[in-house]
Amino acid sequence: MSAVLDTHGLGKRYGSFWALQDCNLEISAGSVTALVGPNGAGKTTLLHLAVGLSEPSAGEVSVLGRSPQRDPAGVLPRVGFVAQDHPLYRGFTVAETLRLGRELNPSWNADAARARIDALGLPLRKKVGALSGGQRAQVALTLALAKQPELLLLDEPVASLDPLARREFLQSVMEAVAETGMTVILSSHLIADLERVCDHLVILAGGRTQLAEPIEEIIAAHRLLTGPRDEAARLADSHQVVRESHTERQTTLLVRANGHVYDAHWELHELDLEEIVLAYLGRGASLEREPVPS
Amino acid sequence: MIWLGWRQQRTEAVITAALVALLAAVLVPTGLHLASFYDHDAVARCINHKSPACAQTLSDFGSHAGILRSLMPWFTLLPGLIGVALAAPIILDLENGTFRLAWTQSITRGRWIATRFSLAVATSLAAGGLIAILFTWYRTPLDKVYGRFDGSSGFDVEGIVPLAYVLFALAVALAVGVAWRRTAPAVITAFLAYVAARLFVDGWLRQRFEKPLTATWPVQAHGPNLDSAWVLSSGLSDRAGHPFHGGFGALQSCARTGTKGINGLDPRCLARHGAGYNHAVYQPASRFWDFQGIETALFAGVALALLAFAAWWLQRRTA
Repeated sequence: MSAVLDTHGLGKRYGSFWALQDCNLEISAGSVTALVGPNGAGKTTLLHLAVGLSEPSAGEVSVLGRSPQRDPAGVLPRVGFVAQDHPLYRGFTVAETLRLGRELNPSWNADAARARIDALGLPLRKKVGALSGGQRAQVALTLALAKQPELLLLDEPVASLDPLARREFLQSVMEAVAETGMTVILSSHLIADLERVCDHLVILAGGRTQLAEPIEEIIAAHRLLTGPRDEAARLADSHQVVRESHTERQTTLLVRANGHVYDAHWELHELDLEEIVLAYLGRGASLEREPVPS
Repeated sequence: MIWLGWRQQRTEAVITAALVALLAAVLVPTGLHLASFYDHDAVARCINHKSPACAQTLSDFGSHAGILRSLMPWFTLLPGLIGVALAAPIILDLENGTFRLAWTQSITRGRWIATRFSLAVATSLAAGGLIAILFTWYRTPLDKVYGRFDGSSGFDVEGIVPLAYVLFALAVALAVGVAWRRTAPAVITAFLAYVAARLFVDGWLRQRFEKPLTATWPVQAHGPNLDSAWVLSSGLSDRAGHPFHGGFGALQSCARTGTKGINGLDPRCLARHGAGYNHAVYQPASRFWDFQGIETALFAGVALALLAFAAWWLQRRTA
């Protein structure tokens, strides 16, 4: 029951193309997870499955212990979702957008919503279409937060924002997490955006899960090794090689170390998260990549 | 949810109200004028009356009703416009991706579909009803003189069929729109489909709802009164009702010439050429409500099937 999002062999097929395949995830309560992968990796598909917007073609997904497809009334009120590009009714005023949230959500916290909008300095009478991209993203986030969700799902929330708006948006998310302790999953095609905010990482590439672990463990386990080429095969026996590159005599391996690497032949380097993610994404990119139907 | 549904179709509802108001602005003054002409010139007494004075009165009445009556078929596009306009906000929600916002609040997709569809249907029916009431009122004197079919152009705007037309246009637009998710092309396609369906039913199907009646009578006799019937065809024929196919020459040979030129045709001569009778194929005025019922059932039935399809598609196929 500690898993807020739980998937088993989850897959989604569009025609003959698998947008997501054999996805097994357990997202535990209170974690903030970055869902990272290139465009078309299946991030949006996974989030849509979690919020009941689409139906799985294979496997199962459960959110807070219930099926978003079979029991939407049991899942929807407890999940906040901000879709890609933060869709909002552009002809609505900010006040009307808040009213939308109040009308459609029994657990709506009107005071908190109002306080957030005031803190952002957004005029209630202004049309949503006349706001900046960053402001619209904030309104969309307000809508999701005022619902007081246990799980917050954000699909590429900062992709369309400028650097300042990105920082402000993620700051808002972090504040909300600190206040409520809710579970958050954010997707992005870049890890750099999310590294400060997240404690867990899921890498999706080519419709498959490449990695799903706490960020600390990921950093602790991965090493860059440089050493003699003829020793490479022996090393691969005991450690998992994520990426390798060779020169004539030297080999560079990015490995997931199985315990410590004690070997005088090899020079060890620590890696930052972005380098590790890129290595996994590079591996996923060799799989077929196609866009997900929007 | 009702507030949201209403808020989202507000613009289209205002457009609909404006179209109906525009129609009222045209029909109410002209209708009052027509009714007073009908009363003052005692047109009522002249119906079924063949005196030359009455012929003049009816002809005056006809030219008075003139332009609007001949424009009547154009008004039947109005239910189509209103129907597709009311479908637009729902399709727009799909095109803009905002349905993902609505469907991930706390209410279920099923409730969203039910509310949005109900509001659109209710608004359509209200608009269709107002159109029907306006036209039925406006045409009261016309109906008395020309019958409610009025060569089919009265039938389209009166009674209950306008409600079915609006509903049909709405349903076609929704069915196309939910699958296509492009508002402008879906609405245009639906409107063209509406026009095509209406033309097909008006021009071909409706006269076949029930087997038409026929009448054959000698040219020199008065024959049945078909003033208020929907006459599908009429012309010279032989006694058995076979239409006369001879040329003008045959008729000319039967002409009775007097001092002022031709002043009539000899019935016996016509009979010899197989043209001694008048023959008419028609739907009697008494079938008006039968036909209204059949046509309403037809359009409303297709509309309900299309609405069910659209709802199913949204529930099952949209993500």
